[in-house]
Amino acid sequence: MSTYQSLLLGIRSSADYFISTFMFGVMFGIAASAADLSQWHTLIMSASVFSASAQFAALEFWQSPLPYGTIALSVALVSSRNILLGMAMTHHFDGHSLKRRIVWLFLLNDPGVVTSYRIAANVDRLGYITGYGVAIMVSWLSSTWLGLNIAGVFATLDLGAIDFAGPLVIATMMMLFIKGSKTRSTPWIVSGIVALLLFELETANYLILLLSVAAGVMAAVVQERLPHG
Amino acid sequence: MVDQQSTLIAIALIASVVYLSRVSGYFIGLQLRHIGGIKPVLEALPGCAFMAILAPAIRQGNASEILAMSCVVLIMWRTNNVVFATGTGMAVLLLAGPYLGGN
Repeated sequence: MSTYQSLLLGIRSSADYFISTFMFGVMFGIAASAADLSQWHTLIMSASVFSASAQFAALEFWQSPLPYGTIALSVALVSSRNILLGMAMTHHFDGHSLKRRIVWLFLLNDPGVVTSYRIAANVDRLGYITGYGVAIMVSWLSSTWLGLNIAGVFATLDLGAIDFAGPLVIATMMMLFIKGSKTRSTPWIVSGIVALLLFELETANYLILLLSVAAGVMAAVVQERLPHG
Repeated sequence: MVDQQSTLIAIALIASVVYLSRVSGYFIGLQLRHIGGIKPVLEALPGCAFMAILAPAIRQGNASEILAMSCVVLIMWRTNNVVFATGTGMAVLLLAGPYLGGN
């Protein structure tokens, strides 16, 4: 399948997460409005950053004077997941020029990566994930704009109950990963157990991510080196 | 109120950090790909990252959040329908929260 056809497939396949993203975009627009960000600045941020978790993390510190270092560190920590997604795609973007890979990686997105495990082998992964990203970007921008414009309606409502929406969406991606990935389950089970243990030991969030993923990697390496049987 | 110049600098900073996180993982992977047997290790990473986020979130969740998560997992397991699963989870959070100890 050509890159163009794969890109269109990515767009067509994105309906489920288009809607989930839309919900988060509306919430971000409302939050940005509450933080006194102008419409244009909010839309520029959504278009150039394209990451719900990073943008919400940055808003936490949105007050004058802006603490650039704190914002950068906070954004880097919540974005560290992207490093792992990029590494997971190492073997799947061959056959494209370096320039194209560097530009198109801007649209690397979690649901695109996770659902790419389930698609046919002849689909161009970079095209598919980029197409998925284009659709998600449309959803993210339009919903951010909507959120900015209906913020007044929600100003008096308590949206605290939906703080847990993020983990729910990640759970849907985890389930797609479990069902679609051809890798064995030991690494992510080990990661989950180590994350729980570290949480009980009151470890900092970034260390939980770092150490539990490292434990998962070690489990995967050990598993690969053991004789299959 | 944050002034326009500071806002644009901050947006450029955030965008750069996020973009670098996307690109750097891929290029780190390119440096590692010659190692024998590395492909399944790299492909397991998204699952490890999701579990590292989910496990603590579930552990500190209240009853309505755990119920919502259970619904999402069950619906995804049976149907793969992301919208139905997320919608049901959100409905449980909003409706059961006041009774089961939500926000």
